Amino acid sequence: MTKNFFEVKNVDFNIGGKTKVKNVSFSIKNEGDVICLLGPSGIGKTTILRTIAGLEKINNGSIELKGKTLSSKKTNVSPENRNISLAFQDNSLFPHYTVEKNILLGAERNKGRNEKKITLKEIVDLLDIFQILNKYPHQISAGEAQRASLARSLITQPDLLLLDEPLSNVDQSFKEEIQVRLKKILNKLKISTIIVTHDSYEAFYLGSKCGIILDQELKQFDDPYKVYHFPNSVEVVNFLNRGILIPAKVTSENTLENWDLGKIEGNFIKKYPKGANVQLLLQPEDLEHDDKSNLKLEVVDRKFRGTNFIYTLKTPSNTLIPVFVHSHHIHQHEVDEKFGIKRPIHIDHIVCF
Amino acid sequence: MFKNLNVWFFLSLIISIFVSIPIVTVFTSFFENTSNYYEILKNTFLVEYILNSLVLLLSVLLFTFILGTGSAYLVSFFKFPCSDFFKWALILSFAVPPYIYAYSLTAFFENYGTAYTILKNLFGDGNYNQNIPKFDDMFGAITSITFSLFAYVYILARASFLYQSQNLIDLGKNLGFSKFKSFYKIILPAARPAIVAGLSLVAMETLAEFGAVDFFSINTLTTGIYNSWITFDDLAFANRISFFLLLFIFTLFILENLSRKKAKYHFNTRSGFKQKEKIKLSGKKSFFAFIFCSFIFFMSFLFPLMQMLYWTIKFPENLLDLQIIELFINTIYLVSLSSLVLIIFSLISNYGNRVSNNTILNIFSTLSISGYAIPGVILAIAFITFIAWFDENIIKLFGFLSIKKIFIGSILGLVLVYFIRFYSLAFNGIKSGYEKINISVDESAYLLGYSKKKTFMNIHIPFLRNSLLFIVILISLEIIRELPITLILRPFNFETFATTAYISASEDLLEAAAVPSLFLILIASFFIIITSKYILRETND
Repeated sequence: MTKNFFEVKNVDFNIGGKTKVKNVSFSIKNEGDVICLLGPSGIGKTTILRTIAGLEKINNGSIELKGKTLSSKKTNVSPENRNISLAFQDNSLFPHYTVEKNILLGAERNKGRNEKKITLKEIVDLLDIFQILNKYPHQISAGEAQRASLARSLITQPDLLLLDEPLSNVDQSFKEEIQVRLKKILNKLKISTIIVTHDSYEAFYLGSKCGIILDQELKQFDDPYKVYHFPNSVEVVNFLNRGILIPAKVTSENTLENWDLGKIEGNFIKKYPKGANVQLLLQPEDLEHDDKSNLKLEVVDRKFRGTNFIYTLKTPSNTLIPVFVHSHHIHQHEVDEKFGIKRPIHIDHIVCF
Repeated sequence: MFKNLNVWFFLSLIISIFVSIPIVTVFTSFFENTSNYYEILKNTFLVEYILNSLVLLLSVLLFTFILGTGSAYLVSFFKFPCSDFFKWALILSFAVPPYIYAYSLTAFFENYGTAYTILKNLFGDGNYNQNIPKFDDMFGAITSITFSLFAYVYILARASFLYQSQNLIDLGKNLGFSKFKSFYKIILPAARPAIVAGLSLVAMETLAEFGAVDFFSINTLTTGIYNSWITFDDLAFANRISFFLLLFIFTLFILENLSRKKAKYHFNTRSGFKQKEKIKLSGKKSFFAFIFCSFIFFMSFLFPLMQMLYWTIKFPENLLDLQIIELFINTIYLVSLSSLVLIIFSLISNYGNRVSNNTILNIFSTLSISGYAIPGVILAIAFITFIAWFDENIIKLFGFLSIKKIFIGSILGLVLVYFIRFYSLAFNGIKSGYEKINISVDESAYLLGYSKKKTFMNIHIPFLRNSLLFIVILISLEIIRELPITLILRPFNFETFATTAYISASEDLLEAAAVPSLFLILIASFFIIITSKYILRETND
């Protein structure tokens, strides 16, 4: 069996004597892979990064990088000897040095290395920070400081890069562009990275694997597609906030029956016996609009989201169901009007709990 | 509790324990036997000591509040002739210690003094002495200390006023408040923690004041301590009075600390702060503001400076008699040595606290920085008590030669007690510099491969450079003005400008005290002027 590049095994992550996340295990299989950890604020994501960086100790389990144990109950390699770089969420630039000097201090770490995979110029171009190179940290915005800090971490070319909410302060208009550039550079440099974020879209885009941390546990660690389409618990569904759970009865190996929507067909992710009462996950894209359908539900709200509308529909049993409709759809439905749902309802992946 | 133990932790702990020695000495001496003098004094003068200390304290607090807050309000909120000048000129009063102010006051108002000479020159001979007010006794002491110390309140109140957002002032206007109502309903309560902090410093300095009250022959707890030691050679009794004074001071110290914590509620972020626009005063109001600030500037700085200058010119032989170069070298020698020791050890201690984050160390650090609250007289006597005890009980036990001469009446002893007295100044100054360095900056350095030592040398020291310079100058200013410690612990024949002035004044040779006093004021003013930018650094205007 080949060894994982990086591995966390059964670790309780603590800070200030308090356990934040319990019994966590996950790994990065190959060098250069990027994984993301998602979770609400204060759940312990940053504690995980600080512990991996060596800034916090552990009392059980182990953390290994390239086959070497960095942290365990007995071992604790100091942060300066780990070759792991952490870009903090808040401004952690050295306040008395210019941005350029700050970044170059990062480059000093790998002076001895022969292969220089990236230059200062490339980093500066990548993160578009040329204008602020000669400025001091207090003279730049929070978003710029975050990019400068990211540049300093990238230029160290560590064995493992840890990014704590790396783009949380970057302007929304610029964020997607930076995400694209960041993904490109991480691929090019083959730097294994763990990104902590609360933005699920950012996590799904940047990570080859995503971990969901809720209620002091790593609830799910899987491909972004699977995390989204096949959430393994009600908590993950609620956290991703992408759909609702409605009661249904399994009627055959590929159908269910809901009192309001009638027959629903598709492929079950998990087998359930005929007649079982389940909670069916209904996501906004699962239902299709059809003006001619005889299944009509009342519109209680409509949100315009640019490329689409999200209608909130009320069923006869007062359940509220979200439905996406392309914004180019020929006509819009007002609140209190009736809205048709295409029948038969077909869901590719049926997820039940 | 014992996590993160390292060499920095132990160094910090040793420094903190050393600085705490005098406090512990005073508290343990409380239970020792004293001579009969204590019994006599308890029934006679002790009440007078306490009452005098209280009257002095309350009067000085009232007047420094009026002068400090009033001038800070005027220069912070209004534009009037010379307002930008007064902004920094008012802190020049720090250059005049209360005892030198007391000499000036007496020299001016005494019979046939400067006031008499002026009147005689203006109006010819006459019996003016009976009409010239006399600033002696308690009134003189209150005046001297007030004008010398009001700047503590001024600086802190002004800093607080500057950080009050325009939004707050606009809110007052919106509620229909007059300027006066805005002042006492909004501005003053918002600046309360800063003003209380300033008044606490004034209170501690007033209770510790020795030179001025001794000059006016007022019996306070501080002079009582000095007299019981020097006249009755009763160290235990001196320590017993010190104990009472310390209790008094610690109460103030705790109050000051509590109010400082509340000071964090001030606007201090870029997002919540809107720069104030100063209101331009005109007519009577402008005149009043100008006169008020001019009066304070004149009384607190120009008056003592001119009086000392006048006497120096009038009696030039004193200038020639004095070994000015030697006094200057002695003063600079003490200042440089003490500053160096203070800065090095305060840096180590601060860094140890930062990297260890240990409860025990925090407790000792808090105890050790209270040295500033302890009057110099007490510190010096407690130091002598401790050395005597150590010599008797430890050194002699092992058969070594006495160490008294090494520490008492030596430069080493003097520097050590300065170290204890001004440690909190250096420690807190560096601490506030450190507070501006986010802990994640250290962590980033570690993650870039820096060791703790390299982080300290390459990241912290360059960042703290300006703060360190500022602290060195503040310490220098304090040591130049310091009197009782130098007086008690200096080596034989070793004088500074302060001790020379005191000795001349105590021998009733006020004219001779003028030259060293003048030099002291000039050197201190020089230090204040070069640091005024830092002292007033909260200003954006």
